[in-house]
Amino acid sequence: MSVLDLRDVHRDFGSGASLVRALRGLSLTVEAGEFVAVMGASGSGKTTLLNVAGGLDRPTRGEVLVADRLLTGDRAALAALRRRTVGYVFQDLNLIPALSALENVMLPRELDGVRTAQARTEAAVALADVGLADAASRFPDELSGGQRQRVAIARALVGSRALLLADEPAGALDSTTGEDIMKLLRARCDSGASCLMATHESRHAAYADRVLFLQDGTLTESPTPSAPAHTKEDA
Amino acid sequence: MSIRHGLLALLTRGPRYGYQLRAEFETATGGAWPLNIGQVYTTLGRLERDGLAVRGAEDAEGRHVYAVTDAGRAEAARWFASPVGRADRPRDELAVKLALALTGSGVDVRAVVQAQRASTLATMRDLTRRKLGVAEPAQALVLDAQIFQAEAEIRWLDHCERSLR
Repeated sequence: MSVLDLRDVHRDFGSGASLVRALRGLSLTVEAGEFVAVMGASGSGKTTLLNVAGGLDRPTRGEVLVADRLLTGDRAALAALRRRTVGYVFQDLNLIPALSALENVMLPRELDGVRTAQARTEAAVALADVGLADAASRFPDELSGGQRQRVAIARALVGSRALLLADEPAGALDSTTGEDIMKLLRARCDSGASCLMATHESRHAAYADRVLFLQDGTLTESPTPSAPAHTKEDA
Repeated sequence: MSIRHGLLALLTRGPRYGYQLRAEFETATGGAWPLNIGQVYTTLGRLERDGLAVRGAEDAEGRHVYAVTDAGRAEAARWFASPVGRADRPRDELAVKLALALTGSGVDVRAVVQAQRASTLATMRDLTRRKLGVAEPAQALVLDAQIFQAEAEIRWLDHCERSLR
């Protein structure tokens, strides 16, 4: 089952002389359990792609399906679908400082209308899944940068959320902490979640099942490379 | 790096004397890899032996002009189209290949860059998978050495691509 399906998606900003065609007929499918990385220079439209994929922004043309449902219709239905199926992780500014790690992770479930006791139980499970069971009562400023990103990932995947949209999730972290975040995303996908990640770091993209390049508003699937030529040395 | 393919690529631009090939090779690669004239003629002899180039008649000054054959043209195209393996290559081949592509071998430079990046990224994914499977930190760091080298190459390829805009 595809968790995310973008079909011939266009997204224009502005009009006339100032028209910017950020996405130009882009198609992409993310399957359950798949980890897909999108690479591209800054300004190539990676963030626009994630926003459109998660329903935070609407395509000018084309279709977006999340969990086989079309992201259209009235705002309330769209918001509900988005909230229940999609989680976001950004480079920073992910957590609410006045809430503990556990409360941060509970928040989306409480917004879903789940009762507090159940939200608490689910949040504890999600925190344990990211290796932070012991840090549940700490506040964001008592956590390291890597731990904060782990909490953000737990929050993005709490409950039945199956699609994680990650925008440079390790962008602000040092190289080893960043790797730990990639290992965590890899592990979450190996246990069934799906992740669409924008990154400019090839080392991070290398954790994904597929790597796509975004350029001039369209995606190029990195082709299955031919075997490197081993040319004979001579002369 | 194969001098053979470098000279062959130059010959696809038109018939050349040995000394011309040497000068053009050094111009294209910024003198990063000086050739001696002996290497050039040895290589031309092998290209001729393998049917990739033909030697023309001697001119008044006793020099021979060399021209590419159809087989040689096909071999040069194959070389440009084939990613360089990371495994056991002398590292400069890629830089030389791009320099020759850029200085007018009639190939799509961007396609060369993209094919190489796809190949290097695939190598990086294999290395990353292997790294996830090793328990010994030292082994992971050895794999990291190769991963970071691959990363450097990808960053350089990105830079090349941007410079071509």
